[in-house]
Amino acid sequence: MSEAVIFLSMVAIFAVLAMGLRLPIGVSLVLSALVGSLLGGEGIGLRHLVEGSFGYFDTILIIVSAMIFMKVLQASGILDTITALLLKTFYKRKFFLLITVMGLIMFPGMITGSSTTAVLSTGALVAPVLMKLGLPRVKTAALIAMGGILGMIAPPVNILVMIMGGGVDMPYVGLTIPLLIIVIPLAIIISLWLGYKDIKTIGFDQMKAILPESFFKKYGFRIYIPLLAVVVLMLGKSVFVQFTPDIGIPAIFFVGSLIGLFCGRPFNFFKVTQEAIKEAMPILCILAGVGMFIQIMTLTGGRGWTVISFLSLPPVLLYLGIAVSMPLFGAVSAFGSASILGVPFVLALINKNAIITTSALSAIAGLGDLMPPTALAGIFAAQVVHENNYFKVLRFCLIPALFELFMGIGVLLLAPLIDKII
Amino acid sequence: MITLKKNFFSALILLFLTIIICFFSAFEFLRMHENKKIYPSKGLSTQTKLSTYFKDLQNTPGDTDVYIFQGQKKGGNLLILGGTHPNEPASFITAVLLVENILVSQGKVVIIPRANSSGFTHSDSQEGNPQGFSLETTDGKRWFRYGSRLTNPIHQWPDPALYINPAGQRLSGTESRNLNRCYPGRIKGRLTEKIAYGIMELIKKEEIHLALDLHEAAPEYPVINAIVFHENSAELAALALMELQIEGFEFRLESSPPNLRGLSHREWGDYAKVRAILLETANASQGRFKGKPSASLIVNGKDKNYVKAAKLGRLFVPFDEKGIPLKLRVARHLAAINALVSGLKELAPSIVVELEKMPPPSLVKKEGIGCYLRAQK
Repeated sequence: MSEAVIFLSMVAIFAVLAMGLRLPIGVSLVLSALVGSLLGGEGIGLRHLVEGSFGYFDTILIIVSAMIFMKVLQASGILDTITALLLKTFYKRKFFLLITVMGLIMFPGMITGSSTTAVLSTGALVAPVLMKLGLPRVKTAALIAMGGILGMIAPPVNILVMIMGGGVDMPYVGLTIPLLIIVIPLAIIISLWLGYKDIKTIGFDQMKAILPESFFKKYGFRIYIPLLAVVVLMLGKSVFVQFTPDIGIPAIFFVGSLIGLFCGRPFNFFKVTQEAIKEAMPILCILAGVGMFIQIMTLTGGRGWTVISFLSLPPVLLYLGIAVSMPLFGAVSAFGSASILGVPFVLALINKNAIITTSALSAIAGLGDLMPPTALAGIFAAQVVHENNYFKVLRFCLIPALFELFMGIGVLLLAPLIDKII
Repeated sequence: MITLKKNFFSALILLFLTIIICFFSAFEFLRMHENKKIYPSKGLSTQTKLSTYFKDLQNTPGDTDVYIFQGQKKGGNLLILGGTHPNEPASFITAVLLVENILVSQGKVVIIPRANSSGFTHSDSQEGNPQGFSLETTDGKRWFRYGSRLTNPIHQWPDPALYINPAGQRLSGTESRNLNRCYPGRIKGRLTEKIAYGIMELIKKEEIHLALDLHEAAPEYPVINAIVFHENSAELAALALMELQIEGFEFRLESSPPNLRGLSHREWGDYAKVRAILLETANASQGRFKGKPSASLIVNGKDKNYVKAAKLGRLFVPFDEKGIPLKLRVARHLAAINALVSGLKELAPSIVVELEKMPPPSLVKKEGIGCYLRAQK
């Protein structure tokens, strides 16, 4: 059986199980991987299934720890306190609110290179503010998801560029300006596109009426300590790296969560942890399932077939291939897309400035975090606003994602001109 | 209550299934930790460990065997590093072939076949690679490990989100487990940085004059079939290239970029002041376009996706239906080592290294690797 037939059979089986029989996506992925292994003559392929599932082990830990941190922020009253602070500051200034909120969402992504971190930390902080000022729930989630993705591609830490750069021996130097050229216009346009129409400027009395309880008076400055601890540890490990020990993102969130236990309203830490794990479980299953699926896809030759099929497109369709394949491959993971497709595309565009090319490709690959079934940015943004159907969120992400896609392709096309200017 | 009971039993069944899966798959993962023996030639003077040069590596998965071949006559000192990336088999096999065959009449040759021994104990997730491959020797089959480019996360974890290597380069976090991004190493660093530091110490203590790092790369990688040289070795590399061309091996010369830090060809030259050279061959089994990963792909190097990619102009090396077999890749490494050693003789007669009984590259290319290896005992 050819690799194309095996791969397409795996996709078909997944579709039948997930959409037809409505099995959980994670389970459908595992079963389709298992069938793929059998069709490929590899038997059950136990070693491969286990090995594949470990591909997202670090991501899973980040998600679990970030979810616990988010729940701690809610339970301890920190979230309400910060919402109150932001509302008091911005209730009359719609434009500044949106720009500030976008910057806040992006910030953790900028210093960790992870959209999930951004969505689940500052994304969770700004969500209540936006919703209280009139932005519909799903649009709020879309803004948070897009902010997370923009944070992931913004300097100083863009892991996608680092992965592509590693594949072509390009040092991570001189990327700040090209990345800012892409990110700043997008951050302004997307925040205004999603928020300007719906966000209301309100009067003082109206603001007072929707203001959540602030615990600042009761606990003083210490209410902000968990958040500050997380920010300092994250900043330290990317900006003052020589002086700060790197304990890893999961440990940073755990430290923040433990501090939160002593800095605000008392709560049951065990119960909060249980809730967080329960909410995170479906996406954790999906990630393990995707890991198995991609391992079997590679094992049976499906990955190579897919990559070479996209690269076989005639030169005039190269940009179309980039625009379609990189976000699509992000269904596996944006980082996987940067590694597997990004590197060959950088090489295909070798006559252009590699710094600008990788910057633009990272913006396109970043959109993979909106691609189901993983859709990390979309799924967690939906969770932050308590929306069960993340596809509703993805619908509102479509136009902003197209902005980002056109920006990426535009920068690729105009790379020689941008090269001259900068 | 019924729901609770149901969940409890479902959980128990799932837990039981997980234990069974862990139990059976563990055998396959543990098999990667079995050390495959190397059988040194009679010319071996000393077999030691990298921890001899840096004590902190003792009893760690980063410690590795070092084979020293001391000639009768005084001469130059040569270091050959294989297995920096355990998914680049021509690098490891060339080093093994040398350890099992050579005699040294002048100078000293130090060989480390498994530079990153931890990388040999696991395979990369989502790459679907086999755990090993076999070669036919005159008296039976011999198995070799096919590992990962990176240190085993069991031995070094977690990765930072952003890695700033000892030379100050910013890299993605996983590169903290890539030995060839960790030079000159750190005394108090992560395991991989300690291995790099140990190798730097070996270079100093063994007074190495010429250090060679053997590698392979995917055929779509621009630096391929190449001699990558530190600027202090430009003349030597040029001389070697001429000899290689006469022998019918096409190589290209690549100067080590001064701003690409942490790599052997840069930091060995900058920090230890030795002539530093890295050799690359083309290995389809580690590429992004590879079809079904298999032991045959590793050994025979045939892949229809790469034939297609070559026709599309996506490769930096010719690739046809014959593929690029392991015997050819190893022959290229051997030929390059030969050419560099004879170049050194011409440029610096006081530090000559004379190797004998080295498998001739033309015969390795023609007859294969197996006839120069012993079967597994």
